[in-house]
Amino acid sequence: MDLRDSSPSSTPNRDGNAGDDDGVLSVTSALAKDAALYFQSRKFAECVGVLNQLNSKKENDPKVLHNIAIAEFFRDGCSDPKKLLEVLNNVKKRSEELALRASGEQVESGSNIGNNITSGSKGCGTTTSLPASNCASIIYTDEFDTSVASLNIAVIWFHLHEYSKALSVLEHVYQNIEPIDETTALHICLLLLDVLLACRDVSKSADVLNYLEKAFGVGNVSQGENGNTAPQQSWNVVGKSSSDPNSSLISDVSCSDLAASVNASESPLSRTLSEDPLDEMFSTLDIGGQNLARHTGLTSANDLPRITVDRSISGVDLKLKLQLYKVRLLLLTRNVKLAKREVKHAMNIARGRDSSMALFLKAQLEYARGNHRKAIKLLMASSNRMDAAMSSMFNNNLGCIYYQLGKYHTSAVFFSKALSNCSSLQKEKPLKLLTFSQDKSLLITYNCGLQYLACGKPLLAAHCFQKASLVFYRRPLMWLRLAECCLMAVEKGIVKGSWAPSDRSEVRVSVIGKGRWRSLLIENGISRNRHIDSVERDVWALGGDGQPKLSLPLARQCLYNALHLLNCSELCNSKSIVHSDSSLEENESSDGASSKNSNYKNLPCNDSKASTMPAALINLNGDLKEPKGGTNQEGIQNSISYYEDICRRENQMIKQALLANLAYVELELENPLKALSAAQALLELPDCSRIYVFLGHVYVAEALCLLNKPKEAAEHLSIYLSGESNIKLPFGLEDCEQWRVKKHIDCEEANVGAAAAKNSSPEGLEDFMFLKPEEARGTLYANLAAVSAIQGDLERAHHFVTQALSLVPNSSEATMTAIYVDLILGKSQEAVSKLKHCSHVRFLPSNQ
Amino acid sequence: MGKKMLNFEEQCKILNLLKSSSEQKSIEEMLTEFFTNPKLRHFNVCYSLSLLLQDKMMLSSTERLVAFAILHRSYSSQKSAANPFISFLVNAACDEGAENYERAFILHLLGFGNSNSSKEFLKQSASEYIKKFDPSSQTFPQKEQLQKQYLEKAHPEPYACLLKSTAVKNVLADPDVPPGCDANSAEFDLEPGAKSKLGSGDRDEALSGLIANLSLEGLIPHWIRPLPPRFPVDEELVWLNPDNNHELQWDQGMCADTSRGAAVRDLIAKALRGPLAPNQQEQVLVELAKDPKLVYHCGLTPRKLPELVESNPLIAVDVLIKLINSPEIAEYFTVLVNMDMSLHSMEVVNRLTTAVELPKEFVRTYITNCISSCENIKDKYMQNRLVRLVCVFLQSLIRNRIIDVKDLFIEVQAFCIEFSRIREAAGLFRLLKTLE
Repeated sequence: MDLRDSSPSSTPNRDGNAGDDDGVLSVTSALAKDAALYFQSRKFAECVGVLNQLNSKKENDPKVLHNIAIAEFFRDGCSDPKKLLEVLNNVKKRSEELALRASGEQVESGSNIGNNITSGSKGCGTTTSLPASNCASIIYTDEFDTSVASLNIAVIWFHLHEYSKALSVLEHVYQNIEPIDETTALHICLLLLDVLLACRDVSKSADVLNYLEKAFGVGNVSQGENGNTAPQQSWNVVGKSSSDPNSSLISDVSCSDLAASVNASESPLSRTLSEDPLDEMFSTLDIGGQNLARHTGLTSANDLPRITVDRSISGVDLKLKLQLYKVRLLLLTRNVKLAKREVKHAMNIARGRDSSMALFLKAQLEYARGNHRKAIKLLMASSNRMDAAMSSMFNNNLGCIYYQLGKYHTSAVFFSKALSNCSSLQKEKPLKLLTFSQDKSLLITYNCGLQYLACGKPLLAAHCFQKASLVFYRRPLMWLRLAECCLMAVEKGIVKGSWAPSDRSEVRVSVIGKGRWRSLLIENGISRNRHIDSVERDVWALGGDGQPKLSLPLARQCLYNALHLLNCSELCNSKSIVHSDSSLEENESSDGASSKNSNYKNLPCNDSKASTMPAALINLNGDLKEPKGGTNQEGIQNSISYYEDICRRENQMIKQALLANLAYVELELENPLKALSAAQALLELPDCSRIYVFLGHVYVAEALCLLNKPKEAAEHLSIYLSGESNIKLPFGLEDCEQWRVKKHIDCEEANVGAAAAKNSSPEGLEDFMFLKPEEARGTLYANLAAVSAIQGDLERAHHFVTQALSLVPNSSEATMTAIYVDLILGKSQEAVSKLKHCSHVRFLPSNQ
Repeated sequence: MGKKMLNFEEQCKILNLLKSSSEQKSIEEMLTEFFTNPKLRHFNVCYSLSLLLQDKMMLSSTERLVAFAILHRSYSSQKSAANPFISFLVNAACDEGAENYERAFILHLLGFGNSNSSKEFLKQSASEYIKKFDPSSQTFPQKEQLQKQYLEKAHPEPYACLLKSTAVKNVLADPDVPPGCDANSAEFDLEPGAKSKLGSGDRDEALSGLIANLSLEGLIPHWIRPLPPRFPVDEELVWLNPDNNHELQWDQGMCADTSRGAAVRDLIAKALRGPLAPNQQEQVLVELAKDPKLVYHCGLTPRKLPELVESNPLIAVDVLIKLINSPEIAEYFTVLVNMDMSLHSMEVVNRLTTAVELPKEFVRTYITNCISSCENIKDKYMQNRLVRLVCVFLQSLIRNRIIDVKDLFIEVQAFCIEFSRIREAAGLFRLLKTLE
């Protein structure tokens, strides 16, 4: 970089400079044009050739290097996106350095004024002549503009499913989107929207969508109808607005004394300078009409929508695109009603076009509404199912539908089909960048995990979740599922060191001796506390197949991970809630504001942008009125807050489940103190579901009992006592509703196969894997009996255990407690007969 | 299977010991022999024996004596209170239902009464002891007395889980004899060589079976620990939709002609230093209108805004309107509100108010500045001019409903009253009154 002062004079001599560079400039720009043409016609090898020539003329020009990297990537068959990322990051860094240096040198050479900074060491590049001391370092000149490089970096991250990385790049660019040229800005916004939707950030998505509609004039139907007239129209607006007031403005300026102002209404204040009668001034100010006219003229110039210069996206296409984004956003917020309306609108726009996305979205809508049959029909209607990518999505979605219908095995078939579609997609040549993002195998694998879990196959499920964790590792729910896999594996006795399932539910009795000497030795098989080998405490110890071994310590680790993630997201949410609340207030207050702001509708007024401004000016855009798209916008806003509400509640539910599982795991691991704190935390949660409250009390009581505090344990259980010795139902059937498989049957389906539907029990056996309310009541009786027995209150213990056995006759634990009480009371005969009548006892010959 | 209390070696040892108790070996001899193995787990052995002793039928009288002796000897090197089975021994000694020779034997073991002859009685065999036992020679102390003597100094109970410490023996006698028969009668004992009959059984077989299967854990009340339900699958399944394709973009800015904006940049630079000629001004406005992005590259910065406002207010207005969406607009406003009050700045603000919506805070601060500028001017003539200007400006704002009078009512009213000598101020005052 050398600083050339072509003219020592104090005024920048543009002309002389241009003359110097003219020759080189024309050569380079011709080459650049050639390269661009080759690129467009996908002749990448030729393109790279031209670019290399260009590079020899403008060595290390970041933009040339950028385009070389892009062209080479395509030429080499898109095989190494990571490498491209590296190059692009370097290009970006270099551009920023150059821009920084340029502005720095300008400051230094400010006194020279004629500072022509040449970029490129050969000094033949384009020159920028900026006024001295340009401190607007954020806004680079065209030359050092990194927006395209940033966009491309984000594009690669997006295709690699690295949404958070793409987001951080894009958000930075979006902060300063205004100066970026339309084509790039549009690409940035669309990509940002996709990334935000993938990150499920609804409020930011709504902001960007809102901005897109305004800035690219798609909200306006007449413009959207014809892609060609749209730009013209807006140009006309510019022409009008700039010509009309301009003439008067110029006249104003030309006679800056304003002694004889042509148009009185134009510059009322200036006139005071000339000491004109103030009456006249008043009268001019009173002319509201004229004022308004000018007013609109000016603002329309100001609000000039961004023109879609990009020929690849015509007006209608863009409109359809945005409409589909809106549907996706609404589906994400689970506002089914509004989504239905918007999807209809989208279908109208899409008429006669390839609209597989519209069809899929509509199917998703029906799926969300529980109209599974309709959803299947719509999926079937989507055209190109020969395409591997499409068929993988198709099969996956069918899998989802059958899962919801409780047909887990059918869903398994579809999920595995979807996965094999994916693997055939990976084999497809030539490779495209899209291929990476179309590979949804990890998402499908997650679905598989859920399905295996539903079918009671914890090892396979854990394998799936572990694979999917590459994408899902930030989701608390994924960790909860992994923990559930561990618990299920332990429960089923698949895990090394755990009891076989039969051992857990059975009382084992050794029969020793014969005849008169026969005695029964009751094994403590169901005292389920396992002793964990110290070696196994290495949680992520890998098994032979490279899988983490499912175990209770692993479950605990997963639960802690999930809790941590949940707490983090709660922290973030609480912040954003405060923010969105304030913006809501602003919106409300704006409703009362005058409607004169209507001409403001084309501004990218989003709160997220406003928030970057100093506090004093924060309500710059906050007071905006949205007269046109108002109801729509309001609907989206409503569904966002509705969705935030759903998310909060869901997180609460997850937290309850996490703490309950954690308490359970700690009890299993013989850590009563930790179990106690987890269970107590569970009970302290606001709006805890009654099922989890029940579990919380049971776990707290057991932990207290293990900590030698039977009295306090009894108190926890006595909450459910009504009267002296009667226990209420801890929860009702309605509390179990969430756990039941929802089988929405379409009307038609109900008619056709009503009988079949009745008979067909869901394939999965583990439909509702929890105690029924009566069983829960029996559990409480049994545990109260145990506590009473420990406290020595045998009479009560006897009463409770009798109740327990009538409610849960198959519970081996209750039977054991009953036998215990009998033995303490010296009723060994009764104990023996209880043992013989219990269905869960296995008598074993003594093994000597 | 639960944990076995005894390993095979220990099982054999105990069985041999018990078998040999009926022989003529002295008890002392048997004890010495028994404790030769250093690996013996005393507690486990003693606990097994205590469990067997609890069943009065299981062990023969000689076996019981030897078992008690073992219980005592295992911990005899320590104080009696440290023996974990001391209370078991004491209870056995006080058991009214037990044989007197047994109780006396335990008292002997404990060294109760006669400490000098403590070891003598062990020199005989167990059966000799029973045979020679003279019930009249022995007095049985009260339980309390024994407890006082042997348990008082006991350590406080070490920590133990209540659930476990309340355990009861997990062995139940379940005699398999024909209904109506006395299970205790010796008729059911299996006689060697005799044919087994219904209800008969071999005691030795039962004994060895028990010894083999005894476990440390007794029977305890059981707690039901429900497994938490699996979390419901609601919206968790991932539905897939076709993606929008995002292609890599060619940078069109490569080697682009940047001279386009150069002229405007030069003109703006000129505009900072003084008023532009009308045709130059028009050129700027036209160029800016042509390229909506040019405004970001024309070289203007917030710091330079005051110069532009003073020299070319109309260009300033146009530029500011175009920059309204810029992230820097707040900074521009801050500069504008803080610059010296002048006709031009007021005109710029006035035009801005009608063209775009300005932040309320900005307008309010600006008005406050106007009013205080009027008050601070020393030159009466200039003050009059400025006051009139401000009045007209305020009226314009009020009539165009740019500001809500309520927000500034007191401030503006005070201003009108202060300058009521000026006609425009009076007019403004009247306007305020009509709005009240």
